[in-house]
Amino acid sequence: MSEITLTINGQQCKGKQGDTILDVCQANGIDVPTLCHYKGLVDIAACRMCLVEVEKERKPVPSCTYPARDGLVVTTNSEKIEKYRRMILELLFTERNHLCAYCVASGDCELQKLAYKYQMDNTRYEYSWPDKTTDTSHPYIVLDHNRCILCARCIRVCDEITGAHALDFSKRGWKTNVSADINQPLGESSCISCGACFQVCPTGAIFSKASAYKGRTSECTTVFSSCPICGVGCDIKGLVKDNHVVKIESPDLTKPRGLLCQMGRFETLYTPAERVRTPMKRNSKGQLTACTYEEAFEDIAKNLGSNGSVAGLASGKASSESLKAFAELMDKGFGSKMVDTLDGDDFRTVTMGMTKFDAKAGFATEAKLEDILTADSIVVIGANPIKTHPVIGSYILRAAAKNKANLVVVDPLRNPFTFRTSVWVRPAEGKKALAIKAIIRAIMEQGKTAKAPANFAEIDIKKAAKDLEVDSHDLFQAGEILAGSKNGIIIYGEGVLQYKDADMVALILNLAALINTQPRVISLKRYGNSRGAWDLGISNAKSSVIDELAKGKVKGVYLLLADDLAESQSLADSLKRVEFVVAQASYLSPVTAKASVVLPSLLWTESKGSYTTLDGIQKSTVPMVKPGNDIKPDVDTLKEVARHLKKIRA
Amino acid sequence: MAKVKIATVWLESCSGCHMSLLDVDLFIVELAKLVEFRRSPITDIKDFDDVVVGIVEGSVGNEEEKEVVEQLRHHSQIIMALGDCACFGGVCAMRNTLDKADVLKRAYIDTPSTYKGKIPRSPGVPELLDKVYPVNQIIKVDCYVPGCPPEPEAIKYGLTELLAGRIPVVPSNMMRFD
Repeated sequence: MSEITLTINGQQCKGKQGDTILDVCQANGIDVPTLCHYKGLVDIAACRMCLVEVEKERKPVPSCTYPARDGLVVTTNSEKIEKYRRMILELLFTERNHLCAYCVASGDCELQKLAYKYQMDNTRYEYSWPDKTTDTSHPYIVLDHNRCILCARCIRVCDEITGAHALDFSKRGWKTNVSADINQPLGESSCISCGACFQVCPTGAIFSKASAYKGRTSECTTVFSSCPICGVGCDIKGLVKDNHVVKIESPDLTKPRGLLCQMGRFETLYTPAERVRTPMKRNSKGQLTACTYEEAFEDIAKNLGSNGSVAGLASGKASSESLKAFAELMDKGFGSKMVDTLDGDDFRTVTMGMTKFDAKAGFATEAKLEDILTADSIVVIGANPIKTHPVIGSYILRAAAKNKANLVVVDPLRNPFTFRTSVWVRPAEGKKALAIKAIIRAIMEQGKTAKAPANFAEIDIKKAAKDLEVDSHDLFQAGEILAGSKNGIIIYGEGVLQYKDADMVALILNLAALINTQPRVISLKRYGNSRGAWDLGISNAKSSVIDELAKGKVKGVYLLLADDLAESQSLADSLKRVEFVVAQASYLSPVTAKASVVLPSLLWTESKGSYTTLDGIQKSTVPMVKPGNDIKPDVDTLKEVARHLKKIRA
Repeated sequence: MAKVKIATVWLESCSGCHMSLLDVDLFIVELAKLVEFRRSPITDIKDFDDVVVGIVEGSVGNEEEKEVVEQLRHHSQIIMALGDCACFGGVCAMRNTLDKADVLKRAYIDTPSTYKGKIPRSPGVPELLDKVYPVNQIIKVDCYVPGCPPEPEAIKYGLTELLAGRIPVVPSNMMRFD
């Protein structure tokens, strides 16, 4: 890119071809006030704060959209410009009801900061006092039109970064409002609750219910960590005050894994269930009562130390360190071979499918999440990433909107991507495999047969369509799209894994190999550290340990749940025939209700731990708050159990 | 040197700005040597006489406040708006997005603790204006010290500048709207 030179305030400034005047100013350390500009979003010159004078231009121009050219002479700080900026601020303040004394954003507000900078101690204009509403219908986000300056940052981030485009302007001129969908309440709209709008809002127009009035950014300490909830592994910035997480933000929204979703940004600020605060064991009446760590450890050692068949079950929510300590306890402490994760069946299905496809394939067939953003076609099979892994959902929406990636959804139940979808193949329930086969056949009919599976010649698409209860046109169209794709990616999830059918996974890999020579697939794993647990070999059991428990052959079980909510009733039911259950958990659940001993566990916000994202990247959490009640870290608890086992045997 | 005469008025507001005026630490002693407070809630003098500086706390929301602030303007050489209510309308201006009749009904009839309430109407009770106004919408204001309440620093700065014969503009680092 060629270099250009501008004269800004009499100073020679260098920039690149394609820069705006604002870009050059910022690169050269020249301060230009902005409000609607947000790094990484398309500039629209809505607020006019960045006005500058350009020689030979009849009037001041917004620097955020004015292309810098070689030889331009720019003035950013003339008396006239400064006067205009102050005027713009006064107009903004009088346009709506901006009253800092009772505004949630006071102290953090960019509009307020600029008013201070320009010493706006009064307004020359009459206030408009428009009768604006406040939309509180959303569970986490409040939209207060009184404070809105119509900068459209929220609208742009929702469209460009989140991909949801739930927000936009409604009405015109004086009546313009930021609205969700076709003027729906935010809580009933297509908003996916990622909270990016709240992070970019320069005023108090969009704020989080859980963070409001809990502390200003300047009063908080900042902790950089990463979110281990769903396995995407977004980078996060926690703002902490008085040992409470006030707010969770993204360090840079525009970077990959910088978006965050409702789970990381909002749900973390709430307490979803009652915490396990102390160790607990059953008293003589059979009730769970608080006890000391020592008593709990002794109880475990006494009951499980000499018990032949002890099984171990870990949740993929635990950190890799905890899982390692858990594996060691099960192996050396209990000498048990019955160790599994709660999603062990998913692991066996995925790996067996990979082996069936190609014995050497393994996890090399899995793509990185960033590949979604550059894909030209995306196939989503039996998954609802917007709900389970919202950032992946956003990536798909973004690829569809920005790169015009073709989106093929194969799902009998739902299509979370609505109008972004090119084809929605909606097979009858339980016939996904046939649908995939038919799509493979449709691609082959387009002449793309390089890596086609041998035995697919006999499939008749029209017949299959009848069987699947879909329009054969959809199958042909899917085939046409995918045959023309050079850079496709396939995403599948619980809708495939629930059948424990490795053949279907192999089929998906076949389809992927047909689209690209090197198959690129992403399987959506159930827990944040599922991949970490799988890599550690914790799911290596031949068959599901949960099934073994239900058979009643296991005497004792050690459950490492960490901050898993463990709401599954089926897991709790499988424990009915186990004599002695130890649950190490953060929250009380149907599972801890069945336990003989409950050991407390830290939350991810309270502990340091490593996690592997679902595409195999190492991430780690940094403690943001201190735990109460002297709760031991999971690793220490597990090591203590091992020590007590050794002691009782000695 | 004769002391500079100052009058202050307390309009629609919480009196927090007057509190802050008294909360300027040792400066209050220095100030007392230099100025004489005439009509003011601090001195409890009710009648106006001619002063150099008239300080207004609060916004203008009823007929009486409008009259008081107009009188203050008449008797003062310089008017200083003190605090958010005087400068912008402040907390009192919350009622501006609502209808005046609804506000009165809510306050005197609808509140849960009110039994058989009625809206007071007598010559002794000043009528509410249709809106709450910042002072500069009613009279000419010469300088402003915003804040809810203003920083003692800012008040000190404003008065010192005035006593030195300059019209103060509060510097950015002392500005506060909350």
